[in-house]
Amino acid sequence: MEMKSILFSKRAWSEFLFLLSGGPLGVIWFSVLVTAWSLFVGLAITPFIIPIALAMPYLIRGMSSVESTLARELLHVNVYPPRTAIVKQSFWRRMFGWLGDVAMWKAQVYLVYRAVVGFAIAVGLVTLLGLAIGGIAAPFYYWALNGGIDFSFWHVDTLPKALVLVPAGAAGFVITMLLSRLLSNLHRDVAQGLLEHSPDPLEPRPAPNLDERHRMFALRATSFGVAFVVLVIVWAISSTGYFWPVWPLLAFLLLLGIEGTNLFVIEHPEYWKRPGMSQSLAAQIGSSTMVVLFLTGVWAAAGGGTYWPVWPLLGLGIACAARSIALYFSPPGQQELTERIETLTSTRAGAVDQQEAELRRIERDLHDGAQARLVALGMSIGMAEQKLAEDPEGARQLLEEARTGAGQALKELRDLARGIHPPVLADRGLEAAVTALADNSPLRVTVHADITSRPAAPVESAAYFVVAEALANAGKYSQAKRVDIRMTRDGDVLTVEVVDDGVGGANADGGGLSGLRRRIEALDGTLRIASPAGGPTLIRAEMPCGS
Amino acid sequence: MRVVIAEDLALLRDGLERLLRDNGFEVVASVRDGDSLLREIAAHKPDIAVVDIRLPPDFRDEGLRAALEARKQSPDTAILVVSQYVEQAYARELLADGRGGVGYLLKDRILHVVEFVEAVRRVAGGGTALDPEVVAHLFSSQTAGGPLERLTPREQEVLALMAEGRSNSGIAESLVLTVGAVEKHIASIFSKLDLPHSGVDHRRVLAVLAYLQGQTETG
Repeated sequence: MEMKSILFSKRAWSEFLFLLSGGPLGVIWFSVLVTAWSLFVGLAITPFIIPIALAMPYLIRGMSSVESTLARELLHVNVYPPRTAIVKQSFWRRMFGWLGDVAMWKAQVYLVYRAVVGFAIAVGLVTLLGLAIGGIAAPFYYWALNGGIDFSFWHVDTLPKALVLVPAGAAGFVITMLLSRLLSNLHRDVAQGLLEHSPDPLEPRPAPNLDERHRMFALRATSFGVAFVVLVIVWAISSTGYFWPVWPLLAFLLLLGIEGTNLFVIEHPEYWKRPGMSQSLAAQIGSSTMVVLFLTGVWAAAGGGTYWPVWPLLGLGIACAARSIALYFSPPGQQELTERIETLTSTRAGAVDQQEAELRRIERDLHDGAQARLVALGMSIGMAEQKLAEDPEGARQLLEEARTGAGQALKELRDLARGIHPPVLADRGLEAAVTALADNSPLRVTVHADITSRPAAPVESAAYFVVAEALANAGKYSQAKRVDIRMTRDGDVLTVEVVDDGVGGANADGGGLSGLRRRIEALDGTLRIASPAGGPTLIRAEMPCGS
Repeated sequence: MRVVIAEDLALLRDGLERLLRDNGFEVVASVRDGDSLLREIAAHKPDIAVVDIRLPPDFRDEGLRAALEARKQSPDTAILVVSQYVEQAYARELLADGRGGVGYLLKDRILHVVEFVEAVRRVAGGGTALDPEVVAHLFSSQTAGGPLERLTPREQEVLALMAEGRSNSGIAESLVLTVGAVEKHIASIFSKLDLPHSGVDHRRVLAVLAYLQGQTETG
């Protein structure tokens, strides 16, 4: 069963296809990245840097988006391209902000990995598969070749000899597919380490603990070792010419080196707990060293000559030194503060945008609804006044119209008020208001609430609208039948969770949900949505209660 | 008939006062908040109090709380709660003690002066008046395939009007039927829903409402 899954299953073939795609794609990514970076560095002091700097993040995101789609579809691993900022960024941030974005660098490492390792793997696998098929089919064509099939150590020129090749070819096929499974597993691991694990910009990356990281490091080192040995064997069987496995070896060493120095830095704070240093700077120095060593390896493997890696060495060295100097002169905690201020600035901008849009909507509703009705109402009453003497029946009709209009205006204003702040929320609090929502929903809704004291009004209101939006979506799009709502206050944190049994596929960037997200972020909270196709949809908001 | 009004907005208070006076009520007091309402009810023992839900000082549900308190302190005074919005929970609280002489209407209903005055009289006389929106909600939240689907559309209409608290003649008038026909429908509804038959109007309404609410909660 297991063997069949490795040899003939759909999974086996999609994994194989994925590894093969590394060949052509690797070539493309490598040429694009090398060209882009040459332009970026080469034109750094000319005005041409502007369009290139602006285009770079799109380029990187575009390539990683192709890669992550392939990995999701063929390897079934949940990876996504670097996430974009939720709020609009200033011109300078857009131009150079990506240089400080770890996710962008990781994505580029992934692309390089695909170009170097992925290309080698694709070539290796194609060669192996070709040999295997050649072996299996040997009895059908050995006679057509002049002098039979020629291995350097063996001539296959008779049928018995050709028949011997059949099981050898079959064995080769098994080895190819086993290798494909092994390399796919390795690749899945690498993709997860280097690409984003969720398209949701708020979903924090679960931090693996140190033991887990050690285990992953050992696993990766072993897999790289096995992969390298296999490539050497392929090289030995196929041609034994130019020793090309040196290229994937360099890439393996680069990846292991960066991860190794990062682990080292985490475990040895004594090296960076000092003025002018920080954990991330130490990691940067480690990674830069590894990159320079890698480039030196590339330089050596390419036959030496002028030592060109001196240029990146200089650039990376200056970057590290500049950061160290900046750290030395900045007051302690400055970096955390700066990051906090950036978050606050962006969430506040989001909240202001959101409020602005909301006010515009209310103004429009008032203008087109109640105000227009009151104008019509006044006209009906004015005309009734005119007609009162000579046409009392006509006047009565007009007054009736006026009364109907007043009723409609009242109803519209009531709906509007409910959308701004539902009265029962102010009167009775979150649990009562959510229960009223549940009552009014056509779905079967259960409400569990464990809220000992009332949170601050803005928090209550945001929580209420999360439930309202989730219920509305569940009713409108998800074909859900049941909805469970859980609200708990644990210390200072209010958590609201809505789960439905619908078909999933809720759009986290859709109007309603992204508006709510901005509202909740402004309260220092988070809104997360998990809605895989096929369901279920889970929406969870967490907010500090603020009271 | 003697009335106390509790409404904080002068415009509405004066309008309500005039409307009720013009229709033959005696407005013995108009107050702005819940405490004064309880005081005036105790002092004047009016037939009915018309109370806005939202009153000072916090403009939440003070009116409702005062109304519930008044029903405990002065059981002989009927209470009609009016509001800009209706909440099922509030209707449930008002009806919870199982006595008549209680009403809960949207302020919109005041625009239909004749019907509104009729509702005030009915509540003052020990009947009930429940806003059509509350009733519609009770109907819409019934489980599909439940006993209500055994009723004919006409019987459902009659049931809805009955839940609003209308008398047989009121139902007959609004559906353009004879009183006899309405009585036949009602008998059929009660037997289809397995409800005990009761002659008195407001008992009958409370039985219907208890039935509908029970269905909602178990559904």
